[in-house]
Amino acid sequence: MSAATILWEAPLGPLAGETETARLRRGDPSAFEAILARYQHRLYRYLVRFVRDRALAEDLFQQCWLRVVQRIGQYDPRRNFEAWLFSVARNLAIDHLRRYKPESLDEPARGDSSEEPRVARLAAGGPSALDHVLERERAGRLEAALGLLPLIYREVLSLRFEEEMKLEEIAAVLDVPLSTAKTRLRRGLEQLRQVMEAQGTEERRL
Amino acid sequence: MNEHDAMRELLPLAAAEGLDGKEQRLLEEHLQGCAACSAELDRWRALGHGLRRLPTPQAPAQLVERTRQQIQLQLAAAKERTTNPWLLGFLVLLSWTLGVATWPVLRLLTQGVTSWLELGFRSAWVSLLGYTLAGWAIGGLAAVAVALRRASARRAA
Repeated sequence: MSAATILWEAPLGPLAGETETARLRRGDPSAFEAILARYQHRLYRYLVRFVRDRALAEDLFQQCWLRVVQRIGQYDPRRNFEAWLFSVARNLAIDHLRRYKPESLDEPARGDSSEEPRVARLAAGGPSALDHVLERERAGRLEAALGLLPLIYREVLSLRFEEEMKLEEIAAVLDVPLSTAKTRLRRGLEQLRQVMEAQGTEERRL
Repeated sequence: MNEHDAMRELLPLAAAEGLDGKEQRLLEEHLQGCAACSAELDRWRALGHGLRRLPTPQAPAQLVERTRQQIQLQLAAAKERTTNPWLLGFLVLLSWTLGVATWPVLRLLTQGVTSWLELGFRSAWVSLLGYTLAGWAIGGLAAVAVALRRASARRAA
């Protein structure tokens, strides 16, 4: 690149009051560094939870950042950047799964569409069962149980409890109405508890 | 569904801090008189707490570095594509002017030795057009050569 070109280009350093996303939009590499540093582990974790396959999560991680840089011009600065970033990752992951592992885009388990409350059934398992599990289960067990849930519940639980997103942000990432995000969150927790209780009951039998 | 069951349905969302103001208020009122639901809420909260404390899979350092390098290349390529159009216009005009100005300067310096090449005033536009076309052709060839070289450098990278 010639000196003349440099003279004619806008400076790439941060301008006063300019956000990192605005700097990235101008092609500032240091803005990308900052955004990557902030979100790298969280985005990777979300993808791992989503696809349950670390190698695939790594591929998607790279693709996601490439897409972010390519499409940063389409990002509306009035929106939450985090929600936009995670929705880019989600769309990529869904496209991939739809193409190569359509069976993993599993729908909720049978009976989930039922409006019948499941809480009563859970209570029948007895509080002691859950207490028993929660006290001595390690985080790995909970993680494994989370991995057993259908995708739509895994992702909503991960976004709420790991990414600490508000329901409105979750709805934006999933591109669903707020009420749907709420329902998925509730059912996800119920299913997770069912799985945990089933594991606890199984252990007590052994 | 009686009130107790309705409130019990809210407990998972309460543990996830996902209730709206009205639901929250109703639940709090119910919890004041219902020890069973209070205990149940504690269990949901324990589950939520466990989820919050799950170990975070760390993005491997090599993956992050690979991504960083890839993006830097991407940003550099994007930068090349967004050359300032005013600068480009200025350079084109400058090269055209210099090209056209070459002839009188050459004539002046050679003291008329090249006068046998000189065209008459009437056909001056022909020589002007010839200079312009030759300039564009050479510029185009240079652009293609540079593009090919960059493409091969990118493939090598």
